[in-house]
Amino acid sequence: MTAFWSRFMPFQSRERRREAAERISLEDALKHLYDCERAGRPCTLESLAGSLESSRDSAARLLTTLEGLALVRPEGETFGLTEEGRRSAVRVLRTHRLWEHYLAHRTGAEPASWHPSADRMEHRLTEEETEELDLRLGRPLFDPHGDPIPTREGELPPPRGTPLTRLDAGRSAEVIHVEDEPSEIFETLVAQGFAPGCGVQVLEADAEVLRLRIAGREQVLDTVAAANVTVEPFPAGVSAGEPVRTLADAELGEAVTVSRISPTCQGPNRRRLLDLGVVPGTTITPELSSSGGDPVAYRIRGALIAFRRDQAASIEIVRR
Amino acid sequence: MSLAAEPCRGCDVRAESLVRLGLSPGRWDYLIALAGNPNTGKSTVFNELTGLRQHTGNWPGKTVVRAEGVYSRDGKRVKVVDLPGTYSLQAGSTDEEVARDFVLFGRPDVTIVVVDATQLERNLNLVLQILEITDRVVVCLNLMDEARRHGIAVDPGRLAEELGVPVVPTVARRGDGIPELLEAIDGVASGSIETRPRRIERHAEPVEQVIERLVPMVESIYPNLPNARWVALRLLNADESVEEAFRSGDVGRIAGPDGASAENGDLASSAFGDSGASGAPVLPLRPSDSATAARREVLERASALRWELPRDFHDAVVETVFAAAEGIARKSEERGLRRVKFDLDRRMDLVLTSRWLGFPLMLLILAAVFWITIVGANVPSRLLSVLLIENGRPWLLGLAEAVRFPGWASGLLIDGVYLATAWVVSVMLPPMAIFFPLFTLLEDFGYLPRVAFNLDGMFRRVGAHGKQSLTMCMGFGCNAAGVVATRVIDSPRERLIAIITNNFSLCNGRWPTQILIATIFIGALVPAHLAGLVSAAAVVAVALLGIAAMFAASWLLSRTFLRGEATTFSLELPPYRPPRILQTLYTSVIDRTLIVLWRAVLFAAPAGAVIWLVANVSVGGTPLAGHFISWLNPLGLLIGLNGVILLAYVVAIPANEIVIPTVLMLTVLSAGIAGAGAEAGVMFEPESAYAMGELLRAGGWTLLTAVSLMLFSLLHNPCSTTLYTIYRESGSAKWTTVSALLPLAMGFSVCFAVTRIWHIVVS
Repeated sequence: MTAFWSRFMPFQSRERRREAAERISLEDALKHLYDCERAGRPCTLESLAGSLESSRDSAARLLTTLEGLALVRPEGETFGLTEEGRRSAVRVLRTHRLWEHYLAHRTGAEPASWHPSADRMEHRLTEEETEELDLRLGRPLFDPHGDPIPTREGELPPPRGTPLTRLDAGRSAEVIHVEDEPSEIFETLVAQGFAPGCGVQVLEADAEVLRLRIAGREQVLDTVAAANVTVEPFPAGVSAGEPVRTLADAELGEAVTVSRISPTCQGPNRRRLLDLGVVPGTTITPELSSSGGDPVAYRIRGALIAFRRDQAASIEIVRR
Repeated sequence: MSLAAEPCRGCDVRAESLVRLGLSPGRWDYLIALAGNPNTGKSTVFNELTGLRQHTGNWPGKTVVRAEGVYSRDGKRVKVVDLPGTYSLQAGSTDEEVARDFVLFGRPDVTIVVVDATQLERNLNLVLQILEITDRVVVCLNLMDEARRHGIAVDPGRLAEELGVPVVPTVARRGDGIPELLEAIDGVASGSIETRPRRIERHAEPVEQVIERLVPMVESIYPNLPNARWVALRLLNADESVEEAFRSGDVGRIAGPDGASAENGDLASSAFGDSGASGAPVLPLRPSDSATAARREVLERASALRWELPRDFHDAVVETVFAAAEGIARKSEERGLRRVKFDLDRRMDLVLTSRWLGFPLMLLILAAVFWITIVGANVPSRLLSVLLIENGRPWLLGLAEAVRFPGWASGLLIDGVYLATAWVVSVMLPPMAIFFPLFTLLEDFGYLPRVAFNLDGMFRRVGAHGKQSLTMCMGFGCNAAGVVATRVIDSPRERLIAIITNNFSLCNGRWPTQILIATIFIGALVPAHLAGLVSAAAVVAVALLGIAAMFAASWLLSRTFLRGEATTFSLELPPYRPPRILQTLYTSVIDRTLIVLWRAVLFAAPAGAVIWLVANVSVGGTPLAGHFISWLNPLGLLIGLNGVILLAYVVAIPANEIVIPTVLMLTVLSAGIAGAGAEAGVMFEPESAYAMGELLRAGGWTLLTAVSLMLFSLLHNPCSTTLYTIYRESGSAKWTTVSALLPLAMGFSVCFAVTRIWHIVVS
């Protein structure tokens, strides 16, 4: 996939750069309008200027251009997307999320770099290139943050889940989406172990902060950050967030059973584990430690296979 | 009823897809595919079937390039295609895609799945996936002897019953069970053995609900499809190839070996019977518009249904298949039959990977390999040199004179092309013919994966893979061979790192240079009785410096150029196997040594011509070489070398072996030293190291020149054989360029720094 990546780093003339900058602002404006529409918020001149971090004047200029292109129509004080405008916005969104999926699953890029990179690529890829990417990735449904990727026809499932801040103290839930903007908050969330598929339990909540348990660790999260996490609550009585034992904690000779592969382990690493037969219910015995202590060789379905410590730590287990 | 080359209906379509799949055209009666997990002895089975001697080794991931062979039985030609070893057919990697596409679109008459009897459960995962695609399968239950040794008994009859296809127990290494395997292949291919493949009946509930909604739609378009559930599942997986085949109507044909199979109970014979004469194909070849629309509708429906699948849909499918594999394994195998009171494998592992003994034992074993190579290669190298250079060359010159060859032609061909080639052969062949078989024996035995296991910690810290330790060791023999060996590294980023840094292993073309220069200049610094020891220490220091440079470059690459590349790790430690010495000798000499040598010769021959030309073509009264040397001299002096050495490295890019002969020739030529060497403008090696030292000192060499040369010989671009190999293996001009420039830049910087410091210290 390296070649694929490098094809999109062209040298541009000044003229091309200016055109590209124009395209970026227009597409970002469309994205904002689309966000408002999905969230059911009104989109105004102020909200657009705020989201693009630009002046009211330039926001107004953008809206005029978009109206001229019949992508946006005024609705009294607010603005809405035309059918064509919505299609364009969804296309940008599709490229953005596909690129994030590509980075997460086919490269070793850091999670924090996914969003900024996708923000650039969403304006650069042509429609054909986006479709090629989609095919090569096997038509993924969700991006690594848990957002659905619109289909080529622009279909999206209805949004689901509730913000983590709405979860009552004591309740547990599954994380289904971690918002990647702003990036500082996203990095904090990733560092605390938030990823789609994780279990989380709210221990205490007030207007300012949430005390919660995720992957067995107690964490404190302010409500601003918590609002960027979408969860689907578990039925009352089911709790999550207990300490998780992983294969890395198992002792030599101790037979353990896999409960699942951690949702943080994605892409080629996850595929490899599945291929080797690491699925819920598989019995694994750590059998041999290398001279340096890492990697360790495990007996899995009759074969002796070595994993590094960080890989073993992504395999969650229960004692037999 | 004739058995034409095309045994099935709609075969022009198959022939077309076979060409697309890269199969060489030819006539055959049956087409057989060989699939299996890595390291199950698949290549051995292939060799037994076809009589070819493909290199096999005791570790996963040997077959990357697909091999083909042909055998004849009862007057029928059978073509065998060896597919890359894969754990599954999910098409997650290139290998898996190649294997899957072949089984699916190549529509082999029989797919043999080679299964490791000691790891039945994991291997059954692949068997079950293949049974979902095709009916015509024979399971080859290999490594039965090893299973027995480990106290595992597998009941082939029971397994066959469970899977619904023939199961043949074999010990392919000894040829046991191969006749029975041939029998079974014939039976399935001709249709005399009927198969009832086991298919996954139910997936996890949420997955099953979606499949059940899609299957009727698929069946409404392709009513005869024997594997509609599998097709539905692949559509839900957005499998590009299957979607395309669905759209074009190919699905009806790829489903079984021929589309009619679902209706006619008797598979192949009927297909042969009306081959080419079928008036009404089961599926219209040119679909009407309404059919196209209906297909598109199903595809759109499948795409919409995907949103209703659980998110870990893929995991759930894998889990179901493994659950089935587990059930089948439980019914057909018994483990722990023999109370193994002394588990040899385990004992050996505990010693060979132990905290205290692991490293020392490894160093001891590797040192022994190198020692045997160096000592053992001396005599044959000398013999070849006498034969090819001291006797061969005068004889050829005499012959040329006898047939009145013009002087320039015999100079170009004999003093240039022949001499360079002879040099490469005599320096390169003996060490490689000793080193590679030894290395292969260790590989065959199963020790090498343990070395990778022990060293992975060190390699992990610089962002590389433990198996790089092995490709590095191979590099000490020959960098080109080391680069080829990186195929065993299955993570893209780590493989690239191993390819690019292999050149830092001092290859056997460079050892002689190191030893010679160290003996002449560094040995001379100490009293005679210490000279041998000190010069040997200097050479070892250079080799260790190479290892340090390899780690540094790996670290640098993984944090800069290769930062974003995908990475994954897993290392299988196969059971130890008693090595087969004779077979190993044979295959490793043929496979590694001769191929590498042949490539080196191809590159050395033209280089010989170039070297002769620069030394013997004059412009303005001075040989070309003289001009080049005076241009390169300032740059050379800047990094402690001289123009002669730089020119030698430029013209000797094809092979490091000829650097020293070229240096000597050019020194004589440029310094105008009379009476040394054979004739002016001809590569040579002097009688003794002492004579050579005198010659070089007369050419202006100092201790600094010697040290700089030793460093530069380690740190410079790979030879052109290696570069070509890098290009082939990485498939990228960019990475080939990086591989050439990175060590060169390091060599220039290090030599420059050493020269600066040297001048400061000396003055």
